[in-house]
Amino acid sequence: MSAGPGQKRDSPPPRAGTGWTVMSYLIGGMGLYGAIGWLIGRWTHIAALFPIGLLVGMGLALALVIFRFTRS
Amino acid sequence: MSEVQAMTAVGGCHIFTGCGYPAPSYQDSFIFKPIFTIGGFEFTKPMMLVVFAVVLILSFFGVAFRRPQLVPRGAQNLAELGVLAVRDQILRPQLGRKGDRYLPFLVSLFFFIWLVNLFELIPWIQFPAMSRYAFPLSLTLIVWVTYMTIGMRSQGPVGYFKNMAVPKGAPWWILPLLSPIELLSNIFVRPFTLSIRLFANMLAGHLLLVVFSLGTWYLLSLSIGLLYAATSFIVVILVFGLEVLITLLQAFIFTTLTAFYISDSLEAAH
Repeated sequence: MSAGPGQKRDSPPPRAGTGWTVMSYLIGGMGLYGAIGWLIGRWTHIAALFPIGLLVGMGLALALVIFRFTRS
Repeated sequence: MSEVQAMTAVGGCHIFTGCGYPAPSYQDSFIFKPIFTIGGFEFTKPMMLVVFAVVLILSFFGVAFRRPQLVPRGAQNLAELGVLAVRDQILRPQLGRKGDRYLPFLVSLFFFIWLVNLFELIPWIQFPAMSRYAFPLSLTLIVWVTYMTIGMRSQGPVGYFKNMAVPKGAPWWILPLLSPIELLSNIFVRPFTLSIRLFANMLAGHLLLVVFSLGTWYLLSLSIGLLYAATSFIVVILVFGLEVLITLLQAFIFTTLTAFYISDSLEAAH
């Protein structure tokens, strides 16, 4: 559920920085888990772990966005 | 080398004269020879522009508020307009009334970035210092130290990082996976994106202007090339208009996000 201005629930009002916060979560998630995936992939010689790590990171970042901005 | 110098360097190089388009290189458009050297420390054009901007802003606001009147006139009127615009459009929406103590910081930041960006468009100056990465990076470092310090002061050194790492509303079992993302994005990605945004926008704007200005000169000849040159020149004018907006917009976004980060540090995340 998006936090529109007319929303009755007591979620925080959307501010200019919210969009950029979401973007930095996505970059952070992909960067962190992509790096972990890449490292493990390098260690175990399974190249596919890098893209898998990227996807996992993106999924977790999306989960974080959902938790933080829709359920408070 | 500036655009003007680059143009003189390509000199008589035009279309249909067997001369290829002299594409402006990064070396030509963004690297400057030092103007003078003090103790082995080289001063280049972008650095002098930044110093010039600081002097200009300091003297403007100094003159404007030297003998402040209750009913402002002239320079004071203009300066108050600027300060109030930053307060009402940038500071208040993010921080509310309690954030008014950060107004001087945000006002300086906004007008400094805006003026330095505007130098991109002023004839014969024509260079945005923010397209050299060290300048936005050092600005961002100031902002980073500011919001980290404010956060540790208002929530305590441990509480700040604890509040940052634990997003409310997330079930406990997923926290070990999500907290690193929160920490990484708040501590490292934020300053990174803040500086890159300003840097890349100014670099791209300057590059567009250089490419199409040089293109206009290169395509100019007494043939169908005249039509090409005219088209290229129209693009220069359009990009110029776009850049007028972007110089203001980038200063606005940088300052707004600074205010947002400060407000995020003042109170625990919702």
